[in-house]
Amino acid sequence: MSVGVEIRGLSKSFGALDVVRPLDLDVEPGAFVSLVGPSGCGKSTLLRMVAGLEVPSSGSVRIGGRSPAEVRAEKRLAVVPQQPGLLPWRTVAQNARLLLEVNRRRSPAHHPDPLDLLAEVGLTDFADAYPHELSGGMQQRVALVRGFALGAPLVVMDEPFAALDEITRTEMRDLLARLLEQHPATVLFVTHSIAEAAHLSDRVLVMAPRPTSVVADVAIALPRPRTTAIEDTLAFTEVCAELRRHLHGAMR
Amino acid sequence: MNLRPAPAVRRVRSGRGRATRRWHAVAPVVGIAVFLGVWEGFVRWRDVRPFVLTAPSDIVGYLGRAPGDFASASLVTARHALVGFAIALVIALAIGAVMSASRFVERAVQPVLVLVQVAPFVAYISSVVLWLGAGDPPVHFTTALVCLPPFAFAAAAGMRGADPASRELFASVDASRVEVLWRLRLPSAMPSLFTAARYDTGLALIAAYLVEGSNFADDGLGAIGRRSAAQNLGDALWATVFCMVVLGTLALALIGLLERWLLHWHSSQRRRSRA
Ligand SMILES: Nc1ncnc2c1ncn2[C@@H]1O[C@H](COP(=O)(O)OP(=O)(O)O)[C@@H](O)[C@H]1O
Ligand SMILES: [Mg+2]
Repeated sequence: MSVGVEIRGLSKSFGALDVVRPLDLDVEPGAFVSLVGPSGCGKSTLLRMVAGLEVPSSGSVRIGGRSPAEVRAEKRLAVVPQQPGLLPWRTVAQNARLLLEVNRRRSPAHHPDPLDLLAEVGLTDFADAYPHELSGGMQQRVALVRGFALGAPLVVMDEPFAALDEITRTEMRDLLARLLEQHPATVLFVTHSIAEAAHLSDRVLVMAPRPTSVVADVAIALPRPRTTAIEDTLAFTEVCAELRRHLHGAMR
Repeated sequence: MNLRPAPAVRRVRSGRGRATRRWHAVAPVVGIAVFLGVWEGFVRWRDVRPFVLTAPSDIVGYLGRAPGDFASASLVTARHALVGFAIALVIALAIGAVMSASRFVERAVQPVLVLVQVAPFVAYISSVVLWLGAGDPPVHFTTALVCLPPFAFAAAAGMRGADPASRELFASVDASRVEVLWRLRLPSAMPSLFTAARYDTGLALIAAYLVEGSNFADDGLGAIGRRSAAQNLGDALWATVFCMVVLGTLALALIGLLERWLLHWHSSQRRRSRA
């Protein structure tokens, strides 16, 4: 029940600053597509337009044939932000339920149980803890659960692991891959970690800075399911090398 | 790979830490005892006239002669202050919600609040009494008015300051304004509202006391204070001051308890922070 995303001539400028140049992009249903590019190149802006949180200057986004505003109003889109953004006055379990409780009338009839999801990410013992009692990695796991609890067919993630240390990030890749096996969705994923993109994606779009444009569209043919072990293979190293080459080309 | 974290380890407080805490708990008592001692000593040593400054022992002695009168007057003043305080809080939440939603309203309302805040309310108490008549209404009105600006500023700033990432999250599921207000902005404003509440506790009590002295109702500590001042009764006047201090201290302690209960999640309520 994943949906495809169709982007046509999408652009955004803030005053005189062109942040996203007219852009075409098709994401097939169920695909995991990463956007990789240097900081400030407009990745977040692009993602926010897809999520209906930013109005494009021109062009259109269709998610399963519908506008982002409609999809957002129907709660068929989950956002996982860079900062976990947990509400400090809610427990872990209450935070995991947050997106279901807000605008409750539009919540889907069928969605994963947040408590089951917490178990899947190993946080059952912390269900009644408050966010300040959790490490950064654990907080970000709650943020993942909060997003997946909606059971939305499209998940957009903006550098969700960027604030974490390298060891925790590697664990989070694994965790996200496993969550997606259990709860399939189309994913748009922004990162500036090449290894993260290579590990998780079916496709990686390499973006050039200001105004944003896609300079390479690389299909990642690594076998699935992927675990951390894949990062030690030669094939993985080659994929990363290719991505790095495109990225350096883009920055020049 | 097993990502399940180890169960949280309870922090064990060391014996020395406990002793330190007990020592810290008596600190306020020591402070007040020293203060009262210096006061008592000063009055006795310099032989100050009771009307100018009454020794704490004389105040307590005087209170002991008519404890019921002072207790019931204190209750009246506490009720006056509490009603005004509560009205101000409710109105301030409404004003804060509108101010945080609209920059225009914020800019329009701010100077009015400043005006209310800096106007010396002692000067217009008689006007309020003339307008609203004798009894409780002018007390409630003035108390609410002086408590309003701190509450409104705190509500507006706290609500506007709600975490942008959380706001975006709420927007991503098309949350209504009311829901954002209730589930996000209001809890975000709690810490600053508590700060304002501490400040307003003193204001509310003082406003109630002063209006009670001019509202022709012969009701509350303010009325006793006014009468005693007119008759040069230093003991009685200082007894009302003493009762006011007790009321304020109790109110602040109550707010402290409420804060620990409602804001247990906030960094200000934690002995140790992870930062
Ligand atoms: N609301 C805004 N107003 C003005 N400029 C903005 C706004 N949002 C983003 N920008 C600018 O757009 C550019 C791209 O930002 P962003 O999409 O956050 O980049 P990225 O996520 O790739 O780091 C930046 O130069 C930023 O300053
Ligand atoms: Mg960004």
